[in-house]
Amino acid sequence: MSTKLKVAIFIGVLSTGLASQSVLAQTGTLEQDETEHAPLADPLEPFNQKMFWFNLRVDEYVLRPVATGYSKVVPEPARQSVGRFLKNLGVVERFANNLFQGKLPGAGREIGRFAINTTLGGVGLFDVADQWFGLKESPKDFGQTLGFYGVSSGPYLVLPFYGPSTVRDTVGMAVDSAMNPMNYLLSTVEVIAIRGGLTVTNAVNYRSLNLQLFEDVDRYAVDLYGAVQDGYLQRREKAIQEALQE
Amino acid sequence: MTRPHVFFHKFLTLSLLAWALPAWAADSPLTLIRSTTERARAALQDPAYQGDDRRQACVDKVKEILLPQFDSPEIAKRTLGPSWRDRTDAQRKEFTQLFIQLIEKTYSGALDRYNSDVQFFYDQERVDGDFAEVDTRIFAPAQNKTFSVNYHLHNVDGKWLIYDIVAENVSLVRNYRNQFNRILSKSSYEDLVQTIQAKLKQLSAPSSS
Repeated sequence: MSTKLKVAIFIGVLSTGLASQSVLAQTGTLEQDETEHAPLADPLEPFNQKMFWFNLRVDEYVLRPVATGYSKVVPEPARQSVGRFLKNLGVVERFANNLFQGKLPGAGREIGRFAINTTLGGVGLFDVADQWFGLKESPKDFGQTLGFYGVSSGPYLVLPFYGPSTVRDTVGMAVDSAMNPMNYLLSTVEVIAIRGGLTVTNAVNYRSLNLQLFEDVDRYAVDLYGAVQDGYLQRREKAIQEALQE
Repeated sequence: MTRPHVFFHKFLTLSLLAWALPAWAADSPLTLIRSTTERARAALQDPAYQGDDRRQACVDKVKEILLPQFDSPEIAKRTLGPSWRDRTDAQRKEFTQLFIQLIEKTYSGALDRYNSDVQFFYDQERVDGDFAEVDTRIFAPAQNKTFSVNYHLHNVDGKWLIYDIVAENVSLVRNYRNQFNRILSKSSYEDLVQTIQAKLKQLSAPSSS
């Protein structure tokens, strides 16, 4: 009996030891000497700089003034609802990418959320799937799916109007938007008109909800281009890391 | 005959516990983050610090609470990256001071928007020898949004000190390092110092918005 007990305790101790080690291995950032880090590569910088500058002008002269005006007319809860409505429309991409990554529970949650929020949540204006049923969103995109299967990000790429991205994530974005069922249901002209309208609405709405955030980044960054570049890359890296751990 | 023996054991165990527990509690990284946050929060809500004329006093008080928990030279070293090795001691000191001023300015801006209905959640800690991470979340009811804030600490002579903050998956140290590296790769350390000084001057000027 006592030998068995000892073995059981030994295994218990060993497995907790291993478990805690694997947690540490996953985070992996606990003890790096960061003076050795190489700067982020940016082979497309001349192009990126121009696009970054262009986007800043678009923001300064068009997007920010429009979003500011819009935020004064439409109260914040309503703008959050608009954001949820637009997000709800992206269910096909999120569902498909959950499947591509083999995440069946995530795929199920996305379908459930769409069904509940489109009906009970008033065409997606309210996220009752989360509030009433505890169905959390499982946002997955094709750029992340590519990263999940080991495709590296490729060079950093600043897209006109859209902002920071990478070559991999740009491909991902194209694939995601091709997946939208609108493409098969409507004529090309209609698709372009509707998509254009939705994109502009989304940009203005998102910008209006983040007026302070944009101002803060601008205010505290010593080098704005570098701050935005690194912020984007860190978030994407983490999104892929989380997809791998999930 | 056994009774005094048992009593002695109990006494010893209890006194050991009594001695060890508070020490452990004070040393746990999560406990440290929680107590620091709560102290800063108490200062922010203190009636003595309300009103525009008391703003600077409030900022100073919060600074006094937060600053000792940060390992400033380590943060400066990590944000400067490979260039730190080529710096003289005087330059390292100069850079550390400049960078801390920059962080202070960033924080005091955030303090202005502090709202007493914000909720803090202290989720978990991971300790690996002299390094630790503490995961927390901040819920802002006004925006109906939860932000993740992850603290990286290391043990310096028995005291846990913060050397990085990861907010919404973006490490402060890495973000500044990329900004600084870009400036360093195009010009010089002297230029970087001037750029930071210019930024500090700009931040000290009254905000246009």
